[in-house]
Amino acid sequence: MELFLQQVFNGIMFGSTYAIVALGLTLVMGILHIPNFAHGHLYMLGGYITYFFITSLGLGYWPSLLLSIIVLGILGVIMEAIVYRPLHDQPHINAFIAAVGALLVLEAMAEVIWGPQGLRIPNPYPHTFQFLGIIMSVQRLLVIIGAVVLIVLLHLFLKKTLTGTTIEAVAQNREGAMLNGINVNRVSALTFFISSGTAAVAASFISPIFVISPAMGAIIGMKAFIIVILGGMGSIPGAIIGGYFLGLIESLGGGYVSAAYKDVIAFGALIVIFSFKPTGLFGKKEG
Amino acid sequence: MLRLEQVNTHIGGLHIIQDVSLNIEKGEFVALLGSNGAGKTTLFRTIAGVLKPRAGTITFNGVDLLRLPVHKIVEAGLVLCPQGRQLYPELTVYKNLLLGAFPIRGDKKRIQKNLERVYAFFPILQERTNQLAGTFSGGEQQMLAIGRALMGEPRMLLLDEPSMGLAPMIVKQIGEVISDINREMDTTVFLSEQNANMALNITDRGYVLESGRCGLEGPCEQLKKDEKVRKAYIGA
Repeated sequence: MELFLQQVFNGIMFGSTYAIVALGLTLVMGILHIPNFAHGHLYMLGGYITYFFITSLGLGYWPSLLLSIIVLGILGVIMEAIVYRPLHDQPHINAFIAAVGALLVLEAMAEVIWGPQGLRIPNPYPHTFQFLGIIMSVQRLLVIIGAVVLIVLLHLFLKKTLTGTTIEAVAQNREGAMLNGINVNRVSALTFFISSGTAAVAASFISPIFVISPAMGAIIGMKAFIIVILGGMGSIPGAIIGGYFLGLIESLGGGYVSAAYKDVIAFGALIVIFSFKPTGLFGKKEG
Repeated sequence: MLRLEQVNTHIGGLHIIQDVSLNIEKGEFVALLGSNGAGKTTLFRTIAGVLKPRAGTITFNGVDLLRLPVHKIVEAGLVLCPQGRQLYPELTVYKNLLLGAFPIRGDKKRIQKNLERVYAFFPILQERTNQLAGTFSGGEQQMLAIGRALMGEPRMLLLDEPSMGLAPMIVKQIGEVISDINREMDTTVFLSEQNANMALNITDRGYVLESGRCGLEGPCEQLKKDEKVRKAYIGA
């Protein structure tokens, strides 16, 4: 029982990270109608930027997190403007190729600046305690609670503010939005800012528990991409539930079978789901 | 108010709009007639800035529209209610209308006033204010599209085939509302229609578009008598 609870706790923690990363990916996918393959690499860079502010500039954890959101958000806006916007009217394959190019550039950049080896962000809250026989740390709880807060804030922004509504409007009908006087380029830039900024939050929350490395972008990017397809393209609830789902499968599979097989179990489960429900769990008809 | 001179629009390699010139004054109610494929939608999309013409000039109150992106043209007061309606299917009626008021965002009083006016034109929108637009019938969607276009207080409204695919009863109702918009709200209206009968009965004058060229123009009374118009668009 204790093993089970421990694995559920860890699964929710990983799921929180996956949910936020997938959420950012699905927001951009809704606007651009193409997947930003470089999203996982933005996440990776978010971890490094936080690392830079903490270890190189000696700032505290929270100021570094805030600066990381801003810097990565701006980087996302720049990426949208120079990589994706010029290709908007071109065949989708061009944007795919550009995205792959962008992720290679980001990974190489991180490797040149910080080296290929793993680095550790000093853990601001290393204190651990036991609860119901589960070993928890404050930082791990921060990952979980932070994700919930972020999801709620994002939901309120999208549903209750006019600016947030314009994101949904552009996703649902780009031309209709233009004809309502909405500057769709500005909305795209804003969406990229939010998407990249949330990736920076996810990376900065969980990185102090593990290590950061230039290669971590590729694996989480792939997972986020699969979660988004699993949850139904462009579906926000789908990305959130899919994220927690993947975290739990990985963690339970890793705990009961073997940690070495956790990715095999997680991806295997996804393949099984797709063979029964090809549109994803919350797939829309046109998806 | 709106002036087009020798406008030429291409889509892909096709020369769709050919040397079209026209002029609409403030307060007028003008029809754009033409059969399916004549280029009505392309002409409207060109005026609204969605498509940029290869040659010609378009000015609105003296402002060169070719220099402006679509959202600036909307801010200048020229609003297109597009073919196919282009609503936000997964947003409520209320949010669709609210986004129509984007050019006057922040001005709560004006938005509320416009909302009441739209609800007066189309009471069904008020009854279904929290329903998702995508669940509406064609006629209701068209009412919502017109209502949304009015929310931003256009000085000139382009309506692209509002009667398309709708039952005659609904077409009549929508025709009456468009007349009211022109008369009561002092909005200049440019109405594109395949349904010449409806259009010629409510507008003051019309242009006839044939294969991308502006073949004929004149007051509605005169167009109604024209042998070619009768044969092609009225069927009498």
